[in-house]
Amino acid sequence: MTDTRSIWDQLLVKVQEKFKSDIISTSSRPGVLAILKVRPESIVKLCTFLRDTCTFKHCAMVAGVDWKDRVEVLYHLWSDAFKGYLELTLDLPAEDPHVASVARVWPGASWHEREAWDLLGIRFDGHPDLRRVLMPEGYRFHPLKKSFELREPEELEVKSRHV
Amino acid sequence: MSELWVNMGPQHPMTHGLWNLRIKIDGELVLDVDPEIGYLHRGIEKICEYRRYNEVVTLMDRSCYVAGLAWEQLYFMASEQALGVEVPQRAEYIRVLCQELQRLASHLIWYGAWVQDLGLMTPFLYSVRDRDLILDLFQSFTGARMTYEYMRVGGVRNDVPVGFSDKCRKVMDWIEDRLKEYEALCDRSDIFLKRTVGVGILKAKDCIRNGVTGPMLRSAGVARDLRRDRPYSAYPELDFEVAIHDGADAFGRYRVRMEEMRQSIHIVRQVLDWLDKKPGPVLAENVPRFVGTPSPPPGLELYVKRRGFPKGRGFSAMEEPHGEALAYIINEGAEHPYRAKLRSPVFVNISAAKEYLVGYRVSDIPVIMGSVDVCLGEADR
Amino acid sequence: MAQTLYQFVNMIVVYLLNWWGPYWPTLSPYGAFWAVWISYVIVGLIVVLGSLFNVIVLIWWERKLIGRFMDRRGAMHVGFAGIFQNFADGFKLFRKQPFSPKDADQVGYYFAPAAYMVVSLLILGFLPISFGFFGGSVPLSLLLALALFSFAPLFIFIAAWSSNNKYSLIGGMRTAAQLVAYEIPLLLAIVAVVALTGTFDLSAIVQDQANYGWFAVPLILGLIVFFVAMLAEVERIPFDLPEAEAELVEGWNTEIGGMLFAFTMFTDYVRALVGCYLIVLLFLGGWSMPAAIASFPLAGIIWFQVKTYFVFSIFIWVRAALPRVRTDQLLQVGWKRLLPLSMVNIVWAVALVVLGWPHLHWPGGW
Repeated sequence: MTDTRSIWDQLLVKVQEKFKSDIISTSSRPGVLAILKVRPESIVKLCTFLRDTCTFKHCAMVAGVDWKDRVEVLYHLWSDAFKGYLELTLDLPAEDPHVASVARVWPGASWHEREAWDLLGIRFDGHPDLRRVLMPEGYRFHPLKKSFELREPEELEVKSRHV
Repeated sequence: MSELWVNMGPQHPMTHGLWNLRIKIDGELVLDVDPEIGYLHRGIEKICEYRRYNEVVTLMDRSCYVAGLAWEQLYFMASEQALGVEVPQRAEYIRVLCQELQRLASHLIWYGAWVQDLGLMTPFLYSVRDRDLILDLFQSFTGARMTYEYMRVGGVRNDVPVGFSDKCRKVMDWIEDRLKEYEALCDRSDIFLKRTVGVGILKAKDCIRNGVTGPMLRSAGVARDLRRDRPYSAYPELDFEVAIHDGADAFGRYRVRMEEMRQSIHIVRQVLDWLDKKPGPVLAENVPRFVGTPSPPPGLELYVKRRGFPKGRGFSAMEEPHGEALAYIINEGAEHPYRAKLRSPVFVNISAAKEYLVGYRVSDIPVIMGSVDVCLGEADR
Repeated sequence: MAQTLYQFVNMIVVYLLNWWGPYWPTLSPYGAFWAVWISYVIVGLIVVLGSLFNVIVLIWWERKLIGRFMDRRGAMHVGFAGIFQNFADGFKLFRKQPFSPKDADQVGYYFAPAAYMVVSLLILGFLPISFGFFGGSVPLSLLLALALFSFAPLFIFIAAWSSNNKYSLIGGMRTAAQLVAYEIPLLLAIVAVVALTGTFDLSAIVQDQANYGWFAVPLILGLIVFFVAMLAEVERIPFDLPEAEAELVEGWNTEIGGMLFAFTMFTDYVRALVGCYLIVLLFLGGWSMPAAIASFPLAGIIWFQVKTYFVFSIFIWVRAALPRVRTDQLLQVGWKRLLPLSMVNIVWAVALVVLGWPHLHWPGGW
């Protein structure tokens, strides 16, 4: 157990050195191996390296968060060797957010990216099949954005705008 | 016959939930697959942002209605990390009890529905009746048979009643006996073996590449089980084995789930032994008062002015009956979560449909999709 | 004493007409004519209503027994132990508006299920249920029964095709393939029985079994082949893939609703009844019974029905216990396993004949 921990610590140091210009900051939280904040341009390069050399073969989750001034994309990767999750996070500008897709690196991430596009409007360049997955085709909004307000029933107008 | 796209769904007896499986077939052979989900999307993640932490429990029950307590625990583990609340030991054990009983109930109804799709109609009624025994157990301590609303931030709502342990042990003994009948009906049936062995193969490399987790992954020989690899709640102190099989086909997944049911019974017995011996509180005391009830507690505004709302992030991962589920809660200075993201195993397992459906016949589709164990509530949220 | 049902009914009708005759002067010159035709009509009614009633009781028995296999009670509320449940279901379907999809072929859609039912009910008209108890006596009754039985794939396919639905078409094609494939072992198993008796007349076959013992004993292989092939012919689990609910919703009758659907479901059970009758007549001795109970009134009919329901109970048992076989595996079993077995059975039957199996029906003796 301690062996794996120390191997991971050394590996993290090596990753930070190799991608010095791409990783903006590192932090940690109990429960994840590390949290790396990366530049959006280098996500695919970093992910390919993590998959091939650092045994992060499983992409568990790709999520988007809509802050008022920026959009944050979170990636959670699992390694069977280190038995833990690595969290990557990157920031995108709020208007027209787009980032390279990691669906070519892990096909398992493709539907997560479709969901992020569907609900938050984040475009993933290079995704093989970027279309809506939960909302019907032709829906005009991205519902999980903060600008899409959820009205409580008694506040609804007689004619809803969101039809 | 030339190739044509056929819709299996959204109204179809096979689908067990509301989704559309579009298949391109040439006679009996499946050439391409395009699953469409979203018919059951209720915006659970969006609604979470408008509810207080304890009020979200009703939504979590309904995200996977077959395994509600699993999703409740997933969400509460993440929000407890975000709010900095620690759960008492007895509550952790009760949560594990809920988890394993829920796993048994989910696998029992999976088994009944799956073999019914194969044409074997009788075990459906047997397994639903056994699941009913478990639902009676749930009713005795949570008060409900399906949508429990039992867990809270910091623990569970109430302790198990007196005499629960004996009842539960009787039910476990009964179900363990019945499992032998279910296995006899299937393992020794030539027709069943012919229909499930070698069907729907998804090898280990493809599983990992596509993010497939849960019994599908373990049937391919990969021994990953989050209860063992990244233990949470009371699992570090419990003893059980991870069920794996090396066939990577529908039969392998069936064997993995049967073995998981046995291990769940074993875990439940250990938990009952512990619960009998160690009484204690089941709800943490340092829970912030804003987590809420429908009517806010008196003095809330004063409290907020003095203490402020915390900021933090919580992340939890657990082995839900269908696979690996994750939750990420961002807490940003309000009494509601800022963002609640849930990762559903079924969402990802369906996305890999092209890998394990193409090349088989139309008659194999219910067998394969049944062995994947689809529950639409959590895929669509 | 009357030898056949017709003679029995004719006797009663003649007696009644003789009793009425003096009060009906216009009737008496044509008395014989009226007697014959009224007897025919009454015999027809008895056979038709009796068969319909028998099928409804058969469906009731299936629902109860399969319920018991599944640890539940089956229909309970309508009538004592659910006796009238099927009447209720039938009346419900009878009340429904007949409709057809707009793009379906109207003639085929309405004609095919009805023809399917009529042809299957025809068989029940001349299958003897007891000594002399049949609607009409035909020397080649076995051959005629099989010929009518084999009409089914044609009408099923017409119904499926006229429905103008992809699922129905797939189901119809599967059904036709399955029924045609399993006709052959069925017929070959019967050929073995005919080789032993030398006649196609069912009453004579039963008479042979009464004299020499049930054919199930020497032709056990034939019985097994016939049983499996009959399960496939009446589309029961494990061979019910054509109407597999999980895949094709309802197969070839997906689009058929209302009364036509009632016809279809009913005919499935008529064919199951015909299958059970044939098994009992050809292999299990028909209505031959131990002498101890021969003196009861209608003993032959009752004993025959007991045997039929016993065979049908095994059909139900198989349905409760086995999963469905896939189409290609099904066809493999039919062509590669049942066919050779039935050939072996024929060789065995001919060997028995050569070794001196006594039979008295070959023209010109043996």
